[in-house]
Amino acid sequence: MNLPLYLDRALFVGLPYAAISVCLIVSLQRYGWRMFTYSSLSSQLLENRTHFWAMVPFHYGILAVLLGHLIGFSVPRAVLAWNGRPLRLYVLEAAALSFGVLALIGLAALINRRLTNAKMRAVTSAMDWLTFALLLFQAASGVYVAVFTPWGSTWYAAVVVPYLWSLFGLNPDAGVVTQLPLAAQLHIVNAFILIGLFPFTRLVHILVVPNPYLWRRPQIVRWYGSR
Amino acid sequence: MNKRNTLRRARRRTLFPFGRAIFVRTMLLTTLFSLARNGFSQEIAEYFRTRCTSCHTIGGGRLTGPDLKNVMQRAAANGKDREWLIRFMQDPQAAIQSGDAYALKLQRETPGNAVMPTQPDMTRQLAGSLLDLIEAETKLERSQFAGSPISLAPFTPEDVQLGRELFRGSQSLAGGAPPCISCHAVQGLAALGGGRLGPDLTLVNERLGGPKGVSTWLLAPPMPTMQSVFKTKPLKPEEIHALAAFLDHSALQGAPADMSGPLGFFLLGLGGAVAGLVLVDGFWSKRFRSVRYPLVHGQQQEGDE
Repeated sequence: MNLPLYLDRALFVGLPYAAISVCLIVSLQRYGWRMFTYSSLSSQLLENRTHFWAMVPFHYGILAVLLGHLIGFSVPRAVLAWNGRPLRLYVLEAAALSFGVLALIGLAALINRRLTNAKMRAVTSAMDWLTFALLLFQAASGVYVAVFTPWGSTWYAAVVVPYLWSLFGLNPDAGVVTQLPLAAQLHIVNAFILIGLFPFTRLVHILVVPNPYLWRRPQIVRWYGSR
Repeated sequence: MNKRNTLRRARRRTLFPFGRAIFVRTMLLTTLFSLARNGFSQEIAEYFRTRCTSCHTIGGGRLTGPDLKNVMQRAAANGKDREWLIRFMQDPQAAIQSGDAYALKLQRETPGNAVMPTQPDMTRQLAGSLLDLIEAETKLERSQFAGSPISLAPFTPEDVQLGRELFRGSQSLAGGAPPCISCHAVQGLAALGGGRLGPDLTLVNERLGGPKGVSTWLLAPPMPTMQSVFKTKPLKPEEIHALAAFLDHSALQGAPADMSGPLGFFLLGLGGAVAGLVLVDGFWSKRFRSVRYPLVHGQQQEGDE
């Protein structure tokens, strides 16, 4: 799909730089000024049943899909070499789509939980709703692109990754991505909007995931005094 | 000392009668101008070679698009000037949609009524330079763009088989480009079918005017998405011949591939996701569910009994 040239440049060159700059600067600023707002503001204490079926599939699904995008970005040639055989291509694509659908199911359950439970609605801000809307669009457009314009793992590595590297090399070349189908272009633009919005949302918890919890020794915590 | 300086100045004047500074500036400007001129025209010729020769020759006859020899004269005979040609090159689709009689005539003459793809980087200046190049090549007895190095040998069953393997990726392309299946489907290809970023190629022979059109297209694909890949990883002539043989053979399959491939793929993804849900439920079967709910709910149930 062809958009006017100025719009192409605004969406695929201006927006990415603006989004990444805002993300870096505001994330650091927020950490420096309001460190204790770096939290997912978990609502697990308020509701625990639907929470499991929403958060677990969403997180495992989205982490696997993001990791796939990162691998394609880091070693595109290795991905292309892997996809060189039809069976390997199909296995990778089916696995990636499974994780994508898992993330979408989890996200839908998560939004439903926030919508239908009064306690959840009370602790959900306007920014949370905006984040949900953007995440839902991102996951749904990703699944749509995977199903209707296969095989994304190959053309992402061959066509989109050079564009992303051109951004990082400060020599932006958006020529090819502007020729992709509309859904793929929207997926890319929405990703940059999410990156720009990242430091203003509870998504910042990604930066402070307590990974050492995975391998540290168990601790017994006792409180003394009135708390 | 003064005498030596006077001698030096006199020697300089002999070598550079208008002064050394002017001489150096003139030489520099001449070199830069000549470099820019040669570099520019080479760049335009290279652009034509990589972007236009898949569909056009200059004096080598029609491929998918018309032979461009004397294109200005033909346009003039139809009442179109250079300005019209530039506008057409920038946006062929718009010229056709405007209902222009000559643009529609050009489309009718193209196999499968194909429309020249719009090139996003086609500025007015570039289009003008390309017309200059075509005009200069038209005047030559034989243009460098009169023919292409593709093989016109008849296709053998081995060619078709090799083409199928190259298309599916079971045999790698020598230049390292991803296989065709990544973006294109063809009838009767494989379990989940081919990609759908690009068009279905079952009947591509009709659209591009036969195997010769397919081969020249593959030699220098004009689509920006294909170019980004094949510019640095071109196909070898024998690979092009095999792929043209396979696509010629695929035309016998009749209709393009249906949507059963994407549907099967989606169901596979859905099945995988459901399996994932079952797996997490099993893995965390002893998870902490809640305290209050079983107590309250249990008491309510006891009360009901």
